[in-house]
Amino acid sequence: MIEHQPETTSGIPLKLLYGPDDVPRDIREALGAPPGRAPYLRGAYPRMYRDRPWRIFQLSGYGNPEDMNERLKFLLFEAGETGIIIKHDRMTDDHLYDVDHPEIVERREDVGLTGTVTVGLRDYETILSDLPLDSIYAKPGGGVPQSAVYTLPSYWSVATRRGIPLEKLAGTGQSDFFLTYLGCPTKEQIPPEAAIRFNLDLIEWCSERMPRWVPVSIAGYNAADSGLSAHQELGAVMANAVQYLDMIAARGKVDVERLAHRIGGVNFRVSMEVFEDAAKLRAARKMWSDLLGQRYGITDEKARQMRIHVVTAGSAMTYQEPFNNIVRGTLMALFSVLGGTQSLGVSGYDEAMSIPSDHAHLMSIRIQQILQNEINLREIADPLGGSYYVESLTGELEQRGWEFFDRIQDRGGFLAVLDDGFLLECAEENNQRIAVGMESGERAIVGVNTHTIDDPIMEVEAFEGRSGAETWEMAMERLSDLRRTRHGRGAVEALRNLEEVCRNDSVNAIPAFMEAVSADASIGEIGSVLRETFGDWQVPISV
Amino acid sequence: MSEFGPSPLPPARVLVAKSSLDGHWRGVAVVARALREAGFEVILGGMLRPSEMASVAAAEDVDLVGINVGGRVEVVERALDEMEAAGLGDVPVFVGGTVPPQAVPRLTERGVGVFPPGSSLAAIVEEARRLTGRDSPAQRL
Repeated sequence: MIEHQPETTSGIPLKLLYGPDDVPRDIREALGAPPGRAPYLRGAYPRMYRDRPWRIFQLSGYGNPEDMNERLKFLLFEAGETGIIIKHDRMTDDHLYDVDHPEIVERREDVGLTGTVTVGLRDYETILSDLPLDSIYAKPGGGVPQSAVYTLPSYWSVATRRGIPLEKLAGTGQSDFFLTYLGCPTKEQIPPEAAIRFNLDLIEWCSERMPRWVPVSIAGYNAADSGLSAHQELGAVMANAVQYLDMIAARGKVDVERLAHRIGGVNFRVSMEVFEDAAKLRAARKMWSDLLGQRYGITDEKARQMRIHVVTAGSAMTYQEPFNNIVRGTLMALFSVLGGTQSLGVSGYDEAMSIPSDHAHLMSIRIQQILQNEINLREIADPLGGSYYVESLTGELEQRGWEFFDRIQDRGGFLAVLDDGFLLECAEENNQRIAVGMESGERAIVGVNTHTIDDPIMEVEAFEGRSGAETWEMAMERLSDLRRTRHGRGAVEALRNLEEVCRNDSVNAIPAFMEAVSADASIGEIGSVLRETFGDWQVPISV
Repeated sequence: MSEFGPSPLPPARVLVAKSSLDGHWRGVAVVARALREAGFEVILGGMLRPSEMASVAAAEDVDLVGINVGGRVEVVERALDEMEAAGLGDVPVFVGGTVPPQAVPRLTERGVGVFPPGSSLAAIVEEARRLTGRDSPAQRL
């Protein structure tokens, strides 16, 4: 009889027992460096969670700016979060559409469901009212490159209007390519070549003025939850970093060594393949450090340090028997910390049906607080270090990750594999394999394809926010107020200037975006300038 | 062939599209492939507005519409209304995706089958065959 060969989700064969011979030599060497020292296999900081527990960093947002503001105040002042994330309505924000755009009008009930809806800078003032912007760590949104140049300037402009200098602001942007050029393509968006110019502008702008701001953050999470496997996620993240660094070096304005640390805040996914994914975080830090040292000759260890934010896999959260997801969230959170993450968001247990309800959101925070307070997890750095199994996985992922990186580089680099559909094809292939495994039962999910019962005791209601199209109606009113009461000529001039700047890539575009939002240009007007200037990206395969 | 029963029907044409603007394509791609492998002709519509859902369904002369939902049920209901207004009231519709459990009855009452995340592909294919009258072995040839 042929014995079934078990393997991880990404295809690494699993043995019954691991021993010293399974630990590759360079991993054994890397184990000798303590946490806080290159290549950072054992952790980003010397004393890890003893000095500073990981940041509880949950995605949050829905409805109108007032709803968002209320939610943020609750999370900061009552629930005990230590940073804020503003989640924006994906229809309007990712697309840069005004709420009266035909694509929105026909879907008006969806407005505000995936995040808060803004029509312009005034809404940011509402979202941020009563929040101490000079002392909080913020991720104001802008997951998508084309929306980041609206969102970040809006957040920064509110702060400067309050007299807070830019250099005091702490937080992170995202401007990630994996979200809309791979995982969730928008209906319209500027091509990656135009998007990367904005990212480079953000990087240069922040490195001159905002020492406490991470300008862009590569989100391997989005690559992984779209379907890339663990080593593919690693290889693609490294290829993305190389794309930034090579282009920054070619521009010649900012020193690569100074810059490297600023793009070293990277976002990964931890799924239910928990050992593999904890190993992935450890491998990621080492690969990053090696990449910067070997490819760019950076000797300063601090410049080669990667800091990690983890989001637990939304796709692991089942629609059926949602309370089981609290267990899944706990496991994924635990292994994110065992992998040494600096901040963590746990997907809501109702992820498969809606954005988190208040209860689901609080549960995600409680999971993290229990881990921080009740199981002595903060006292030990790298508790998995030296496990034959984990070190074997770490080495295997590193090797396979570099192989995938080489394939990307051979095809022309990161932008090329977004454009030619290679990453999409890899993701789709994996997704099909996973779907087939679930169909056959080989991949067992409790309450879904095994141990199923039909009992309402396990059911919950999905969060739906305001009823009907109320959120949209209120946003329509704010938009018409904005157009009626703003200084009309000022907005027109700012938009005209923005268009000129967009057509001239030898200047940094960020000041023009700051001026446009400050002149009360609407989100859709800014979007129109981008669409007219850069055109629309064609999704490379039909999915 | 007639002595063995009804002659085989041509492959049924299915429009698969998203009603919401959220862009998640994983589920759509998996379902589209399963339908194609089961012999359906799949037309991928991308993200369609309710009015486009009706106009594309009419232009493509489809036998079935599969809608991936990443938003609220009202938008799906608007697509159903648009299809009825365009004279496509007899074209069956089924939906999949993140439909809030409490909204499921609103769709099933209009004869729309709902397949939430985690649904079996075999069940989806079987329903597509039933809805397009391809559920006897002879018609499946």
